[in-house]
Amino acid sequence: MALLEIKNVSKRFGGLKAVSDVSMSIETGEIAFIVGPNGAGKTTLFNLITGVHQADAGQILFDGHDITRLSPDRAAKLGIGRTFQIVKPLRNLTVLENTMLGAFLHTSSPAVAEREAAKVLQFLGMTKAMHLPARGMGLPMMKRLEIARALATKPKLILLDEVVAGLPTSEALKLADLLKRLPEWGIAAIGGVEHVMQVVMKIADLVVVLDHGVKIAEGKPQDVVHRPEVIEAYLGPKYKELLKK
Amino acid sequence: MKRPQVMIGAVIFLVALLIPVFLRNDYFLQVIFRLFLFASLGLAWNLVGGYAGQLSLGHAAYFGVGAYGLALLSPSISPLPAIVAGVVLAMISALIIGSVSFRLRGPYFCLATIAFTEVLRLIAKNLPNVTGGDVGTPVPSLFPRNTMVSFYYACVGLTIVAFALSYWVERSRFGYYLMAIREDEDTALSVGVNTARVKLWALLLSAAISALAGALYASLFLFIVPDQMFGVEVSVEIAILPMLGGAGTLLGPLVGSLVLETASEVFKNIFKEAHLLIYGVLVVLVVLFLPEGIVGTLMRKLSWFKSAPPTPFASTPSPGPVEESKRVPLPQPTSE
Repeated sequence: MALLEIKNVSKRFGGLKAVSDVSMSIETGEIAFIVGPNGAGKTTLFNLITGVHQADAGQILFDGHDITRLSPDRAAKLGIGRTFQIVKPLRNLTVLENTMLGAFLHTSSPAVAEREAAKVLQFLGMTKAMHLPARGMGLPMMKRLEIARALATKPKLILLDEVVAGLPTSEALKLADLLKRLPEWGIAAIGGVEHVMQVVMKIADLVVVLDHGVKIAEGKPQDVVHRPEVIEAYLGPKYKELLKK
Repeated sequence: MKRPQVMIGAVIFLVALLIPVFLRNDYFLQVIFRLFLFASLGLAWNLVGGYAGQLSLGHAAYFGVGAYGLALLSPSISPLPAIVAGVVLAMISALIIGSVSFRLRGPYFCLATIAFTEVLRLIAKNLPNVTGGDVGTPVPSLFPRNTMVSFYYACVGLTIVAFALSYWVERSRFGYYLMAIREDEDTALSVGVNTARVKLWALLLSAAISALAGALYASLFLFIVPDQMFGVEVSVEIAILPMLGGAGTLLGPLVGSLVLETASEVFKNIFKEAHLLIYGVLVVLVVLFLPEGIVGTLMRKLSWFKSAPPTPFASTPSPGPVEESKRVPLPQPTSE
């Protein structure tokens, strides 16, 4: 059975169909990427999975539970971690305290939470920054902190919303190397990416392409990027014609 | 950062406990009683308004319910059970306000606290058969003999309890959750915090302490009227003292009350009718120049002096684990 199964999910905001009739599934230890231009519905899909928004139609199953109508905190308790596209650190707390917040999901002891958080920070190469306040950090650190907080909850599935967006390519690739190791921890990951395709090609097992809320392609990364409909979504119909020639 | 605050707090309490040994001037003790009364109310407010960042401008509700609980119930049940009943009633009030408004974001909680307190004030004013209406109602004295000194010790004791409770909160998971809610509620939700419930617990604790303070206050003055117990001025004062002292810090409410209550008492004696003006100017100055409050600003300055300059970490992410990653064979599930 799949770890996460999304069945024909739709969501509209007023007249805008943000996500329409999207289905996908992911297994434990798999890394999937949802790819699509700006406004394709990636973040909405993540918000549907984590319960921030409620789907208008369809069903979402996670680890044997129906999570279609679950609240965000319940989703987190079931084992879905997430990062935010627009980073949301607790600015007045330190990096360690930010990460401890995630670890508190499984312990009420600050000492235990601190140990767990330190492990996660070491994995992400952030030990040096541990006792610095989160405010005033650079974007690369902020993005890593988002991952650290989510990982500290020991999720079964982590949703990485635009986790490499805005990063220098070298840093994005370093981060990709780290993310590639997530299955070691028994964690499946779904990333959302607009255009940093190097990362996708490097670590994705599965790619789902969204355009205007509709799933237009799904498959191995090498196959998907050559499909005409994908090229059309990104570059326009002209390039699709060029490809046919 | 937290240890010095506990030490300073302990010294303040020690001095406060020793004062009546040397000085038995009732006026003086009453001034300090008021100071600690508002310190305990400030500490209670700080749980919700400081750590959790949920601005309450209606703490007079719990203060007043505690007072009226003692006043109205003690004829039928004796004073101590009446105090407990007042505390329970205040917590029920908190439950009503919190369970409705904590699900919403934005200014709704603050508005609900103001509105709810106003409703209680109007009920107290307009039910003369029950509450005595505008005329007021008598309150039994909890300490018929040795009045002022006993009230003084009770009040300092309550403040110590509130301080200890805040200290525990600061170091517990509950405290981390409150701070997370203040900083970013979405983030708190994303790591599994039931934010509505955590906020409600903070408000319940806060209401209980406020109700105890209300009962003490009412019992000292033996007579209460609605405007005095449920008045907006009380709510504002409960919120402003910890803000000026440093919202979300352990010592903030204590320092805020110490500085401002002392100042307002001194001004009252020197400037007579103009004291409120001076008080207002003082509040404006602190808000302008110490937006994080006295303790908050000191904490930042002191830690800045103590710690080494921060390392430039953002530009040099440590390469360690990245290099290691090469050795890892990934378990690749084959999906159709």
